[in-house]
Amino acid sequence: MMREEAHRFGRGRHLVGIAGLADVAAGDTGVIVINAGLVHRIGPFRLHVELTRQLNAAGYPTLRFDLSTLGDSTATGGGQTRTQQVCADLDDAMNLLKSRAGCERFVLVGLCSGAQNAHIVAATDPRVSGAVFLDGYAYRTLGYKLRHYLPRIVDPGRWARLLRRRAGGGGDGLPKPPSEPIFAVAPAPREEVIADFTGMVARGMKLYLVYSGGISNYFNHARQFRECFGKVMSHPAVTTRYLAETDHTYILTGDRARLLDGIGGWLAHNFPPAAAGRHA
Amino acid sequence: MRPDAEMPFFFGDDAGLFGMYHAPALPARRAVLMCPPLGQDLIRCHRLYRQLAQALAGQGLAVLRFDYHGTGDSAGGSAEVDWNRCVADTVTATAELRLRAGVDRVVVFGARLGGSIALAAAERARFSEVIAWDPVLEGDEYVSALDAMQAALREDADRFTRPRSHADVAEQWLGFNIGDGLRHQLSELSLRGADVPTLVLDSLPPSAGSRWDRIVSSRGTVAAIAPPTPWNDLRRLEAAILSQPLIQAVSGRLKETA
Repeated sequence: MMREEAHRFGRGRHLVGIAGLADVAAGDTGVIVINAGLVHRIGPFRLHVELTRQLNAAGYPTLRFDLSTLGDSTATGGGQTRTQQVCADLDDAMNLLKSRAGCERFVLVGLCSGAQNAHIVAATDPRVSGAVFLDGYAYRTLGYKLRHYLPRIVDPGRWARLLRRRAGGGGDGLPKPPSEPIFAVAPAPREEVIADFTGMVARGMKLYLVYSGGISNYFNHARQFRECFGKVMSHPAVTTRYLAETDHTYILTGDRARLLDGIGGWLAHNFPPAAAGRHA
Repeated sequence: MRPDAEMPFFFGDDAGLFGMYHAPALPARRAVLMCPPLGQDLIRCHRLYRQLAQALAGQGLAVLRFDYHGTGDSAGGSAEVDWNRCVADTVTATAELRLRAGVDRVVVFGARLGGSIALAAAERARFSEVIAWDPVLEGDEYVSALDAMQAALREDADRFTRPRSHADVAEQWLGFNIGDGLRHQLSELSLRGADVPTLVLDSLPPSAGSRWDRIVSSRGTVAAIAPPTPWNDLRRLEAAILSQPLIQAVSGRLKETA
């Protein structure tokens, strides 16, 4: 059994979120899910609702909420940078879940810009003991370029299509309308991101990086985790998973179910509900 | 904004329905219930619904946004969404709004299937007026459109690195599991007008016939909104629907009839 509570909370009572509380006695780790792009707290295709309820059923207290200016949350108007605002919002969120469920430590979950925001807080807040980064930071490596371009260079069919187009004989002549970019991760210097990951595992954090085929314009193989971030990806505290078939926002319900099972399994292994949070 | 002018809460049987109440600064004389659409349209319209609710609350109206069972933050899984339950939840939400606002006169607004649900619930909920934005009148056409988009999604090269199997995309519409019950209910849907004043806001592409005649023939009007709303464009599936003309049309209408 679990129950959900609707909250307006935060230093300016400007944040809106849903706390999910397990009726069974839980450990002291709560899970906080952060907005993906501009989608409000329910997540793309209700991903965050399904995730938090599944984790509640497994005994984890959860909070899905809207960061300042997203969803139903407003701005505090304090003249903060976005990074300061995100850190302050997560501080408010952790205080709420502590007051409602007694959590002392937290696992942050974020997709895309949510992963970026989770990363910012995970790198600096000692209460964060784990993080799930879905399509977070990544860089086009040499390996990426070889995997991306080599098959195209040696594909005779591609050359034939290109030559036909050049000769005016292929296609309908109309440019394909671009998809609108809805989700995006702002770049950060790779050295900084590696240093952050190294610092996180050094202080005992557990990390789960799940990247999808939906970001194939800059990430295209499981090996790319190590190509991007080096040996820290081989640390026992880091688990990586590359889901080549899946899109960026898990639109297919089977993909979504497998993602949720993966997160649940990772949590159960690293933060078993009865002893959650006591590893660090 | 006053910090507690927008309050999230759960209500209804077992406190399973999520609501967001927008309280006006002074006691209201009228209230507005906002019926969301279903599926991905609900997510795409979330910000617009909030903007409209804030605009109406600023005009002195009490406003309630809510999620049906199996949608948004309300209890229930996505496969549990049921047409009759949506209509019943709308009636429940109307009672909750009357109680909170202390008024009897409730106008309802809904986009797409939200407008259809509002029309279907109009008599039971005793709405004083229905404002429906591009409501779905013929369910079989709507079902066909969603099936076509789901089929196209299977091989959408902007989304997947390679086409997915038919089994991978079966029994879903654009990100949500659907039960046989809802598919059947929507396929059978053919809406008539409600016996209350009705305003249809039309932002669909031009069509040959007068598609709204049957719901506005006696007590209704139609107003066009430009530009057309891209409800069924797969490339914009995850882009928010925003429309300042829509907000102006609804708030203007409610000023006229105040």
